[in-house]
Amino acid sequence: MARILVRFNEDQVSEPIASQIIIEYKVPLAILSAHINSKGGEIIAEVPDDILETVVKAFRGRGVSITVPKLIEVNSDKCFSCGSCIALCPVDAISLAADCSVQFDKEKCVGSTCSICVDACPARAIKSIKPNNNEASVNREKKR
Amino acid sequence: MKKLVESSGVEVAFKEVDVVTTGTFGAMCSSGAIVNLGHSDPPIKIDQAWMNDVEVCHPGAAVDLFIGATNMSQKHQCEYGGGHVIQDLVAGEEVELRATAYGTDCYPRTSLKTILTKNDLNQFYLLNFRNCYQRYNCAVNSSDEIIYTYMSKLLPRFRNATFSGAGELNPLMNDPDYETLGMGTRIFLGGAQGYIIGEGTQHSPKNLNGTLMVKGDAKKMSPEFLQGASFTGYGTSMYVGVGVPIPILNEGLAKKTAIRDSAILTDIVDYSVPRRDRPKFGQVTYKDLKSGSISVNGKKVRVSSLSSLKVAKKVCQTLKSWIDEGSFFLTTPIERLPTETVFRPMRQTEEIPFVVSVMHPAVTCTEDEEISAIAKRIVTKSVNHIVVVDETCKLLGIVTSWDVTRAMAEEKTALADIETHKVVTAKTDEPLEVASKRMAQHNISALPVINIERKVLGIVTAEDVSKLLGR
Repeated sequence: MARILVRFNEDQVSEPIASQIIIEYKVPLAILSAHINSKGGEIIAEVPDDILETVVKAFRGRGVSITVPKLIEVNSDKCFSCGSCIALCPVDAISLAADCSVQFDKEKCVGSTCSICVDACPARAIKSIKPNNNEASVNREKKR
Repeated sequence: MKKLVESSGVEVAFKEVDVVTTGTFGAMCSSGAIVNLGHSDPPIKIDQAWMNDVEVCHPGAAVDLFIGATNMSQKHQCEYGGGHVIQDLVAGEEVELRATAYGTDCYPRTSLKTILTKNDLNQFYLLNFRNCYQRYNCAVNSSDEIIYTYMSKLLPRFRNATFSGAGELNPLMNDPDYETLGMGTRIFLGGAQGYIIGEGTQHSPKNLNGTLMVKGDAKKMSPEFLQGASFTGYGTSMYVGVGVPIPILNEGLAKKTAIRDSAILTDIVDYSVPRRDRPKFGQVTYKDLKSGSISVNGKKVRVSSLSSLKVAKKVCQTLKSWIDEGSFFLTTPIERLPTETVFRPMRQTEEIPFVVSVMHPAVTCTEDEEISAIAKRIVTKSVNHIVVVDETCKLLGIVTSWDVTRAMAEEKTALADIETHKVVTAKTDEPLEVASKRMAQHNISALPVINIERKVLGIVTAEDVSKLLGR
């Protein structure tokens, strides 16, 4: 599965673009998080690797910006492993290692649109990175 | 010790083990540091002072200051506070001091600004009047909104729980009868050697809520074991590493220090109720809490710790290595800590109003009624809010006179088009001030009052609040 960040502008939010693409290409789009209002919005979703390019092209064809979201950043110098973030995480991306250190699973983390753990960190060790349009695109990401 | 007692019994463990090191690393708000600045020229008798923009108080004469861990920066609020100032000083960083005074013949100076490090201070002592809570509550939130507390972020409808304390590693849990620890006991404090100087405030040993008052030379401490902390919506605090050596003087102590998390119970407390006595949802053991999930009302709730078990273990290990290498000597307490004191609530000579004291019956309607009927009711009952209920009086929604006006303007006739379903509510036992704040926060002028089954008991309006204030 590949993770994508779809961003809609003010003019696009009224159209059911994601639904149209799901129906047209029969894509099982798993939506992990969605924040949309009249001024625009973001969806983080997972799509199967084999149809990733088709989906990306379909969104871009409709003028929608699509990128791979950057994860939140954890400053391990600041983190003192209290673990207060663990039970907050909706996707079980944070856990305690055998030595009681807090560890983040970057594969599971849904990144900056969730950010539920950020303001709960007493050490302020977690930073939310807002993705921007200049970020690595899906295609470039695949080459790595 | 715990394993040894379990495998070989108390008798063997008593013979084998000389000292058990215990420790904890958690947020301890009642912490602070006393500093002496030395005199400026011309001298100043400080009236108000700030260190890195955090207000510090002046408990003594001219140039003694107390940095309280929970005092917040005026500019950065809960992002930086007294705990962070102490951490920065301990780490050897520069701190800006600003002070004002009224000026006297002997202390003529009225303002001051300077840069200081810990080496510039005559004394820099950590002086914590309540540390090392024997155990603490497990916090949950039954309400419909996220709440931000000193127990961190609590998600609505029991979606998470938090707890604090090291459980079986906690010093007081390993010597619950205060046989070896008392006034004068040398301890690990913030990475250096410190002392227990008495029982902590709110010390309540009979119900296993003992606390310690401690002191230590902060100049020798380490920022690894003394860290400023931010709790969004609550304020700042400080994480303090405290370690206590317990000499195994008798078999009883061998048995007591073998205590396990499974034998330490604590209450599950609903922090969404803004009262001194909050509702409880039974008890859990520290074993359950450390497992990552607990059961609340039959529902599985994920739980996480606010204290760091990792650093608590490091405290125990560091203290052990000091004892092993002969750089730390155990002491006999010069006085025992009280074992009978209880923590009493405040005597209050003034009552504050609660929702129940001003609420009045709500004017209601059902979902099948016409807007015109509702408009009539607004006029005849002379109210602005109609609460929509089902046949058992359960809350379904709310309609305001503004909604009805809008329906007229937009030519809508169905109640469903104008009814608000996501209703902000109040409970009878809430302080009126809390309910009033909620109205302001949501920019609304009334809250239906409901019980736990969401049955409507009445309504409280902004008018009720202002009438009370105008008395």
